[in-house]
Amino acid sequence: MTGVSTYDKMRDPSEKTLGFLLLAPAFLLLALIVVYPIGRLIWNSFHDLRLSGGGGIKFVGFENYVLVFKDPDFWNAAKNTVLITLITVPGALVVGMGLALLANLPFKHKWPVRLALLLPWALPLAFAGLIFAWFFHTEYGVVNDVVRRVASPSEPVMWLLRPNWAFAAICLTIIWKTSSFMALILLAGLQMIPKSLYEAAEVDGASQVQQFWQITIPMLMPSIIVALIFRTITALQTFDIPYTMTKGGPGNSTETLAMLIHKTTIDYLDVGYGSTLAVFMFVLSMFVTAFYLKRIGRNA
Amino acid sequence: MTNIWDSKSLRLIAAGIVVINGFFPAVWILLTSLKTEAELVSKPITYWPHNPTLANYVQAFTDQPLLKYLGNSVTVALSATIFSLLVSALAAYAIARLNLKRRQLILTCIVASSMFPLVTLLVPIFETMRTLGLLNSYTALVLPYIVLNLPVCTLVLVSFFQSIPKDLENAAMIDGCTRMGALVRVVVPLAAPGVFTAGILAFVNSWDEFLLALSLNSNPNFRTLPVGITLYQGEFTFPWPIISAALIVAIVPIAVLIAIFQERVVGGLTQGGLKG
Repeated sequence: MTGVSTYDKMRDPSEKTLGFLLLAPAFLLLALIVVYPIGRLIWNSFHDLRLSGGGGIKFVGFENYVLVFKDPDFWNAAKNTVLITLITVPGALVVGMGLALLANLPFKHKWPVRLALLLPWALPLAFAGLIFAWFFHTEYGVVNDVVRRVASPSEPVMWLLRPNWAFAAICLTIIWKTSSFMALILLAGLQMIPKSLYEAAEVDGASQVQQFWQITIPMLMPSIIVALIFRTITALQTFDIPYTMTKGGPGNSTETLAMLIHKTTIDYLDVGYGSTLAVFMFVLSMFVTAFYLKRIGRNA
Repeated sequence: MTNIWDSKSLRLIAAGIVVINGFFPAVWILLTSLKTEAELVSKPITYWPHNPTLANYVQAFTDQPLLKYLGNSVTVALSATIFSLLVSALAAYAIARLNLKRRQLILTCIVASSMFPLVTLLVPIFETMRTLGLLNSYTALVLPYIVLNLPVCTLVLVSFFQSIPKDLENAAMIDGCTRMGALVRVVVPLAAPGVFTAGILAFVNSWDEFLLALSLNSNPNFRTLPVGITLYQGEFTFPWPIISAALIVAIVPIAVLIAIFQERVVGGLTQGGLKG
């Protein structure tokens, strides 16, 4: 190539400047929307800062942190958030795996199955919450109609009106909504497993169950871990579905950390305390991310 | 050994399970939207509407400014998409093409931003927008949405840029193009499929976002669809046929979009996901 030298001359002095210019918009926005807010959040958490009324900003040290530990609402919301994560992440993985295995079969037309996996992914979480709230309606919901036909209980199940049933309904909704994304990621992983592995196993006389555990699962591990990271981080932030299904009720039995933070800051305008709650949430997510990253490091 | 999935009818059942799982909520909402209020509260409940009516659709547009919400959602999602593409295309080009040290670190920084929970950023973003007088504006949502879309768009675009042979660009520059000229005339057209894929993902993300839209834009003039539709329910009343009609209106555009471009969407999702 004769042009390389010209090209090299052209690029040499400007390369760094050009890179700087091209990356500047992205990093300016990251600074404004991510980095500055995190700093501001920590600063807020050490202050008594309310946007309602005229009170000024007062430095209070660790007072907000002490309050968080004594706050039963915080512990309740933290418990709900962790429970939702522990139930819906494995739940979505199992359902998503089932959907992916079914969707991976050799169909003549692939689009109906593909669209069926994409639609729940594209549906806003808030809409999924609204739709499933209607499904779980005590009097006119389709779920209770099916329950009545199958089990004919003496009284209809009060899905969204009883704490435990409401919690179950919310978890089922989250699992339905999120398992499709899981399935799409796993499906892509399944399609990358070489067919020859299965053929070889077949020759060796391995059963389908053995093939699943000895070939499919190990080969799928990278996809599974990626899907789990995404899902866990979003599960910890659960807001839209309980907000639209129960508003955190009955009482605050289905209130998540994200809902408590939102209520404290946006509704009550108590920015100082809300920020402290958010710091706890932040630390929780970082722990989870670090845990997964460590696992990835070990697997790689 | 015979594979049980060789049977065509079993394969049909498998496809049926996946399809029903994906479509039943939308179908049920569609059926609900066609029922009259009287039919809805009859017991036992009906599955198929007896006297299908479109009255709920009319009411969905008159009870709440649904058309305004739709317009707001389109404006916000479209502007967020365009700006996300612009910002991430520049960054992705620098990462994929320039001879930079620590390019992997730069990419990791951008992708890691998606690890921070949005709700923890909500409070300071709310304060910032309030200070800047941007609460209840399109900008209040578009700015954070660009950042929200940045990781996945950058990942998709980096891998597309990397797949374009460098020689093509060099040839253009030998022929007298500037570096920017080569970018616009050679790289961008070749990366168009990638830009398109990233664009759809950005659009769906922005269209679906709820928490920021709820917190930053409470004024009806700037409300987006997901927030607006939760407002049909009163304190004690849930006008389900009307909510269902509004939901159908809101779901159809996004459903059509992903139906047309499904292969691209799947490709982009798995690419963004598996590389992250």
